[in-house]
Amino acid sequence: MKRALTLLSFGMAFALVATPLLAGGDSANGKTKAAACFACHGADGNAVDPQYPRLAGQYYGYIQQVLHEYKDGRRNNPIMKGFTATLSDQDIEDIAAYYSSLPTKLDTLKGHVQGD
Amino acid sequence: MIRLQLFGLATAAALLVCSGAAHATGDKANGRTLVYTCNGCHGVPGTDNAYPQYPVPKIAGQNEQYLINALHGYKTGDRTHPTMVAQAQSLSDQEIQDIAAYLSSIASK
Repeated sequence: MKRALTLLSFGMAFALVATPLLAGGDSANGKTKAAACFACHGADGNAVDPQYPRLAGQYYGYIQQVLHEYKDGRRNNPIMKGFTATLSDQDIEDIAAYYSSLPTKLDTLKGHVQGD
Repeated sequence: MIRLQLFGLATAAALLVCSGAAHATGDKANGRTLVYTCNGCHGVPGTDNAYPQYPVPKIAGQNEQYLINALHGYKTGDRTHPTMVAQAQSLSDQEIQDIAAYLSSIASK
Protein backbone atom coordinates (compact mmCIF):
# COMPACT_ATOMS: atom_id res chain seq x y z
CA MET A 1 0.00 0.00 0.00
CA LYS A 2 2.77 2.32 1.01
CA ARG A 3 4.56 1.38 -2.16
CA ALA A 4 1.49 2.15 -4.24
CA LEU A 5 1.27 5.58 -2.65
CA THR A 6 4.94 6.22 -3.40
CA LEU A 7 4.43 5.21 -7.00
CA LEU A 8 1.35 7.36 -7.20
CA SER A 9 3.22 10.38 -5.88
CA PHE A 10 5.97 9.79 -8.42
CA GLY A 11 3.32 9.64 -11.10
CA MET A 12 1.74 12.88 -9.96
CA ALA A 13 5.09 14.63 -9.79
CA PHE A 14 5.89 13.43 -13.29
CA ALA A 15 2.53 14.61 -14.57
CA LEU A 16 3.14 18.06 -13.08
CA VAL A 17 6.55 18.28 -14.72
CA ALA A 18 5.42 16.88 -18.05
CA THR A 19 2.33 19.03 -18.50
CA PRO A 20 4.17 22.27 -19.40
CA LEU A 21 5.84 20.48 -22.31
CA LEU A 22 2.45 19.79 -23.81
CA ALA A 23 0.38 22.84 -23.01
CA GLY A 24 2.25 25.02 -20.53
CA GLY A 25 2.28 28.20 -22.57
CA ASP A 26 0.09 31.05 -21.40
CA SER A 27 -1.16 32.87 -24.50
CA ALA A 28 -2.22 36.01 -22.59
CA ASN A 29 1.30 36.37 -21.17
CA GLY A 30 2.61 35.44 -24.60
CA LYS A 31 0.82 38.37 -26.23
CA THR A 32 2.57 40.77 -23.84
CA LYS A 33 5.95 39.13 -24.34
CA ALA A 34 5.51 39.04 -28.13
CA ALA A 35 5.22 42.84 -28.42
CA ALA A 36 8.72 43.03 -29.88
CA CYS A 37 7.71 40.58 -32.63
CA PHE A 38 4.78 42.64 -33.90
CA ALA A 39 6.75 45.08 -36.08
CA CYS A 40 7.79 42.29 -38.46
CA HIS A 41 5.39 39.41 -37.76
CA GLY A 42 2.25 41.46 -37.12
CA ALA A 43 0.14 41.58 -33.93
CA ASP A 44 -2.24 39.17 -35.67
CA GLY A 45 0.69 36.93 -36.68
CA ASN A 46 0.33 37.63 -40.39
CA ALA A 47 3.45 39.42 -41.54
CA VAL A 48 2.72 42.00 -44.22
CA ASP A 49 6.26 42.01 -45.65
CA PRO A 50 6.57 38.67 -47.48
CA GLN A 51 10.17 38.17 -46.35
CA TYR A 52 8.88 37.43 -42.82
CA PRO A 53 6.87 34.30 -42.04
CA ARG A 54 3.27 34.16 -40.95
CA LEU A 55 3.13 32.82 -37.38
CA ALA A 56 -0.63 32.86 -36.79
CA GLY A 57 -1.85 29.30 -36.37
CA GLN A 58 1.58 27.75 -36.89
CA TYR A 59 2.08 24.67 -34.68
CA TYR A 60 2.81 25.30 -30.99
CA GLY A 61 5.64 22.74 -31.02
CA TYR A 62 7.25 24.12 -34.17
CA ILE A 63 7.32 27.73 -32.93
CA GLN A 64 8.99 26.59 -29.71
CA GLN A 65 11.48 24.48 -31.66
CA VAL A 66 12.65 27.31 -33.93
CA LEU A 67 12.82 29.90 -31.14
CA HIS A 68 15.20 27.55 -29.32
CA GLU A 69 17.17 27.02 -32.54
CA TYR A 70 17.54 30.76 -33.13
CA LYS A 71 18.54 31.25 -29.48
CA ASP A 72 21.29 28.63 -29.46
CA GLY A 73 22.45 29.34 -33.01
CA ARG A 74 21.43 26.05 -34.65
CA ARG A 75 19.42 28.19 -37.04
CA ASN A 76 21.64 31.03 -38.12
CA ASN A 77 19.85 34.38 -38.22
CA PRO A 78 21.39 37.47 -36.57
CA ILE A 79 18.09 39.32 -36.11
CA MET A 80 16.25 36.41 -34.52
CA LYS A 81 19.28 35.52 -32.42
CA GLY A 82 19.12 39.01 -30.92
CA PHE A 83 15.43 38.76 -30.14
CA THR A 84 15.58 35.26 -28.67
CA ALA A 85 18.73 35.76 -26.58
CA THR A 86 16.82 37.07 -23.56
CA LEU A 87 13.86 34.66 -23.74
CA SER A 88 13.45 32.02 -21.03
CA ASP A 89 11.94 28.60 -21.76
CA GLN A 90 8.71 29.87 -20.20
CA ASP A 91 8.75 32.99 -22.43
CA ILE A 92 9.18 30.77 -25.48
CA GLU A 93 6.25 28.56 -24.45
CA ASP A 94 4.04 31.60 -23.83
CA ILE A 95 4.89 33.26 -27.15
CA ALA A 96 4.35 29.97 -28.99
CA ALA A 97 1.00 29.55 -27.22
CA TYR A 98 -0.04 33.04 -28.30
CA TYR A 99 0.85 32.81 -31.99
CA SER A 100 -0.35 29.23 -32.40
CA SER A 101 -3.77 30.22 -31.00
CA LEU A 102 -4.47 32.96 -33.59
CA PRO A 103 -6.78 32.56 -36.64
CA THR A 104 -4.62 31.17 -39.44
CA LYS A 105 -4.09 31.45 -43.19
CA LEU A 106 -1.66 28.52 -43.02
CA ASP A 107 -2.41 24.92 -43.80
CA THR A 108 -0.69 21.57 -44.29
CA LEU A 109 -0.22 20.39 -47.87
CA LYS A 110 -3.11 17.97 -47.55
CA GLY A 111 -5.41 18.71 -50.50
CA HIS A 112 -2.91 21.05 -52.16
CA VAL A 113 -0.76 18.65 -54.19
CA GLN A 114 -1.10 17.17 -57.66
CA GLY A 115 -3.66 14.38 -57.66
CA ASP A 116 -5.46 15.50 -54.51
CA MET B 1 16.08 70.74 -63.08
CA ILE B 2 13.60 69.04 -65.37
CA ARG B 3 16.40 66.77 -66.51
CA LEU B 4 17.07 65.75 -62.92
CA GLN B 5 13.39 64.97 -62.38
CA LEU B 6 13.26 62.95 -65.57
CA PHE B 7 16.34 61.02 -64.47
CA GLY B 8 14.69 60.30 -61.10
CA LEU B 9 11.52 59.13 -62.80
CA ALA B 10 13.45 56.88 -65.16
CA THR B 11 15.38 55.38 -62.24
CA ALA B 12 12.19 54.77 -60.29
CA ALA B 13 10.57 53.14 -63.30
CA ALA B 14 13.61 50.93 -63.87
CA LEU B 15 13.60 49.86 -60.21
CA LEU B 16 9.91 49.07 -60.38
CA VAL B 17 10.39 46.91 -63.46
CA CYS B 18 13.32 45.07 -61.86
CA SER B 19 11.62 44.39 -58.54
CA GLY B 20 8.44 43.38 -60.33
CA ALA B 21 10.37 40.82 -62.32
CA ALA B 22 12.12 39.49 -59.20
CA HIS B 23 8.80 38.81 -57.52
CA ALA B 24 6.81 37.43 -60.40
CA THR B 25 8.99 34.75 -61.93
CA GLY B 26 7.70 31.79 -59.93
CA ASP B 27 5.60 29.36 -61.96
CA LYS B 28 2.72 28.28 -59.71
CA ALA B 29 1.68 25.34 -61.89
CA ASN B 30 5.18 23.89 -61.80
CA GLY B 31 5.31 24.62 -58.05
CA ARG B 32 2.19 22.55 -57.54
CA THR B 33 3.89 19.62 -59.28
CA LEU B 34 7.10 20.04 -57.30
CA VAL B 35 5.49 20.09 -53.83
CA TYR B 36 4.36 16.51 -54.30
CA THR B 37 7.64 15.52 -52.63
CA CYS B 38 6.97 17.78 -49.62
CA ASN B 39 3.61 16.16 -48.95
CA GLY B 40 5.07 13.14 -47.15
CA CYS B 41 6.00 15.26 -44.14
CA HIS B 42 4.22 18.61 -44.63
CA GLY B 43 0.92 17.05 -45.69
CA VAL B 44 0.13 15.19 -42.50
CA PRO B 45 -1.81 17.33 -40.02
CA GLY B 46 -0.03 17.69 -36.69
CA THR B 47 2.84 15.47 -37.70
CA ASP B 48 6.22 15.08 -36.08
CA ASN B 49 8.76 13.70 -38.51
CA ALA B 50 9.79 10.20 -37.45
CA TYR B 51 13.52 10.68 -37.95
CA PRO B 52 15.08 12.93 -36.96
CA GLN B 53 12.38 13.78 -34.45
CA TYR B 54 11.22 17.24 -35.44
CA PRO B 55 7.95 19.21 -35.38
CA VAL B 56 7.07 19.83 -39.05
CA PRO B 57 5.60 23.28 -39.83
CA LYS B 58 2.56 24.19 -41.91
CA ILE B 59 3.88 25.66 -45.17
CA ALA B 60 0.78 26.13 -47.34
CA GLY B 61 -0.08 29.85 -47.33
CA GLN B 62 3.31 30.92 -45.99
CA ASN B 63 4.80 34.15 -47.37
CA GLU B 64 6.67 33.94 -50.67
CA GLN B 65 10.00 35.60 -49.96
CA TYR B 66 10.28 33.83 -46.59
CA LEU B 67 9.89 30.46 -48.30
CA ILE B 68 12.55 31.39 -50.85
CA ASN B 69 14.92 32.52 -48.07
CA ALA B 70 14.27 29.40 -46.00
CA LEU B 71 14.94 27.01 -48.90
CA HIS B 72 18.12 28.88 -49.82
CA GLY B 73 19.09 28.73 -46.13
CA TYR B 74 18.88 24.93 -46.25
CA LYS B 75 20.73 24.85 -49.56
CA THR B 76 23.64 26.94 -48.25
CA GLY B 77 23.75 25.34 -44.79
CA ASP B 78 22.49 28.28 -42.68
CA ARG B 79 19.66 25.92 -41.79
CA THR B 80 20.76 22.43 -40.88
CA HIS B 81 17.80 20.03 -40.80
CA PRO B 82 19.29 17.06 -42.74
CA THR B 83 16.16 16.08 -44.67
CA MET B 84 15.48 19.65 -45.73
CA VAL B 85 19.13 20.25 -46.66
CA ALA B 86 18.97 17.24 -48.98
CA GLN B 87 15.67 18.37 -50.49
CA ALA B 88 16.80 21.96 -51.03
CA GLN B 89 20.08 20.90 -52.61
CA SER B 90 18.13 19.02 -55.26
CA LEU B 91 16.22 22.18 -56.23
CA SER B 92 17.33 24.85 -58.70
CA ASP B 93 16.79 28.53 -57.87
CA GLN B 94 13.94 28.58 -60.38
CA GLU B 95 12.28 25.57 -58.76
CA ILE B 96 12.54 27.24 -55.35
CA GLN B 97 10.77 30.31 -56.80
CA ASP B 98 8.09 28.09 -58.34
CA ILE B 99 7.42 26.33 -55.02
CA ALA B 100 7.29 29.64 -53.14
CA ALA B 101 4.95 31.15 -55.72
CA TYR B 102 2.55 28.21 -55.44
CA LEU B 103 2.59 27.80 -51.64
CA SER B 104 2.13 31.53 -50.98
CA SER B 105 -0.78 31.66 -53.43
CA ILE B 106 -2.90 29.16 -51.48
CA ALA B 107 -3.20 31.12 -48.22
CA SER B 108 -6.73 30.68 -46.93
CA LYS B 109 -8.71 33.89 -46.83
